[in-house]
Amino acid sequence: MGKKGFALLAVLIVVLAYLALFNGAVGLSWSDLSFFSSHHDSVESRIFWEIRVPRLVAAVLSGISLAVAGLSLQTLFRNPLAGPFVLGISSGASLGVALSLLAGFSFGHFGVLSGAAVGALVVTSIVMFVASRFENTTILLIVGLLMGYFIDALVSLLIMGSDSESLRVYVSWGMGSFSRLTFDGIWIFALCTLVGLVLVSLSVRYLNAARMGDDFAKNLGVNVRRGRVMVLLGASLLAAASTAFCGPVAFVGIAVPHLAFMLFKTSNHRVLMPASALCGVVLCLAASQFSKIPLNAVLSLVGVPVVLWVIVRGGGIRK
Amino acid sequence: MSDLNTMLLNCENLVLGYGHEKTVVVTPVNFELNAGDVVALLGENGSGKSTFLKTLCGLLQPVSGNVLLFGKSEWTARERARFITLVRMSGVTCDRMTVREFVSLGRTPYAGIFDGRSKEDESIVDEAIALLDLENFASRWLTELSDGERSRVYLAQAVAQQVKVLLLDEPNAFLDIPRSRKLFKLLQKLAKERGMGILVSTHSVEYAEKYCDRIMVIEKGSVRTESAKDARAKGLLDWTEG
Repeated sequence: MGKKGFALLAVLIVVLAYLALFNGAVGLSWSDLSFFSSHHDSVESRIFWEIRVPRLVAAVLSGISLAVAGLSLQTLFRNPLAGPFVLGISSGASLGVALSLLAGFSFGHFGVLSGAAVGALVVTSIVMFVASRFENTTILLIVGLLMGYFIDALVSLLIMGSDSESLRVYVSWGMGSFSRLTFDGIWIFALCTLVGLVLVSLSVRYLNAARMGDDFAKNLGVNVRRGRVMVLLGASLLAAASTAFCGPVAFVGIAVPHLAFMLFKTSNHRVLMPASALCGVVLCLAASQFSKIPLNAVLSLVGVPVVLWVIVRGGGIRK
Repeated sequence: MSDLNTMLLNCENLVLGYGHEKTVVVTPVNFELNAGDVVALLGENGSGKSTFLKTLCGLLQPVSGNVLLFGKSEWTARERARFITLVRMSGVTCDRMTVREFVSLGRTPYAGIFDGRSKEDESIVDEAIALLDLENFASRWLTELSDGERSRVYLAQAVAQQVKVLLLDEPNAFLDIPRSRKLFKLLQKLAKERGMGILVSTHSVEYAEKYCDRIMVIEKGSVRTESAKDARAKGLLDWTEG
């Protein structure tokens, strides 16, 4: 597929981005926008800049973040069903949000967003601590899953004692949405995504060699410990940022790396990483077109068949 | 290329062990591997052959003693990977990697931070694929290969790594007789023509005597080495009689 695949994805992204910006409950055109005319404060201009552009940016950044995080974690754990949420990062974010919405804790200016970020980063710190102590990635996977269960139990305790309105807001957050990002938050989200991408990209040598196991990678002169820490840190940051700004967005992290592999037929991360990022953007932009249906419902309708295909075909898990 | 007989690897009072407690499996080993040498490593299952090979290439720390490569004990991981490698026939196999992609991993120690491959890297990979007769299935997935085909692919990856010291852990375990013979002839050729030092663990006593310069035996925690032609006469192979 190669260059044709990238060209196809680029065309899809341009078309979907155009639809995301100009199509919707209120149809917009170029002439409605402030940079072409004097309609600075028109309703159309405000819809475009305050609703459509942040939603587009959220979909693009989420697609990139979750897809790259999923790909790098699947490689690190050598498990095709691993994803950004196996390390308990999503659960950590949920706990932060639950503390904010259900228990009334204040996390400063960004409220729920800060709560999600703090929760995700606390879990990330614990995972990093474990990663620095143990070489075995299976232990890390088990610790991540156990933490997820533990945090989910804490969240369920908070849910038990909460009022119905707080619970409604919390459940709504859990459905995921690209519409929560504001113009103020774009820069923070973009910065977190950029730092995460740099950390993962600098570990491409590790990711390519680690597909055959850590001893194999060491035999090729790769610093396995450093590579693993950088990938974990980068993937955690990407997943945490997306979860904080868009809620726990399901399936992108698990499904997209498989879609990218199906298209490009290579596991070389120099190709697969940008391919996954672009596929993630396409999937999220496509899902964002259905703004009236909960995001996770749309994504699951695409994600479940893909994961089922992976399981039935046995690719990767037959070992 | 190293001049033949240049000392590539030297073990000084090397004591081998494994695990946190460093359980000793082999008592002090003093051993030299020179350019052009093919040395067979024999011993029963569990005698410590793999532990020895892993220690030589730095995957395991010795209990005591030193492994000197080209007279030096301190190497960066990347320098070491350009000098010595261990080829193992078992372990993880990635199900989404073609033969060519796998052989190309041999160029990792020479790649930049983003793991790119130069034209020179690609031609070295082509050469390794041709040397091991892999052209016909270079684009197939690793998991589609038979064990014997995969053994040749693993060796091609090590050839592409262009090391001076090649350690092989039972490379002919899955090969038929003609392929095994061809493999040992290839090892001889690599040693003599490229000035490599090769240490190959095997259970094939016949090939060890016929194609290797020396035979090293690990038996009951101690190591003995003799020239291949004298090994049997000096009782090095008595343990094989049961």
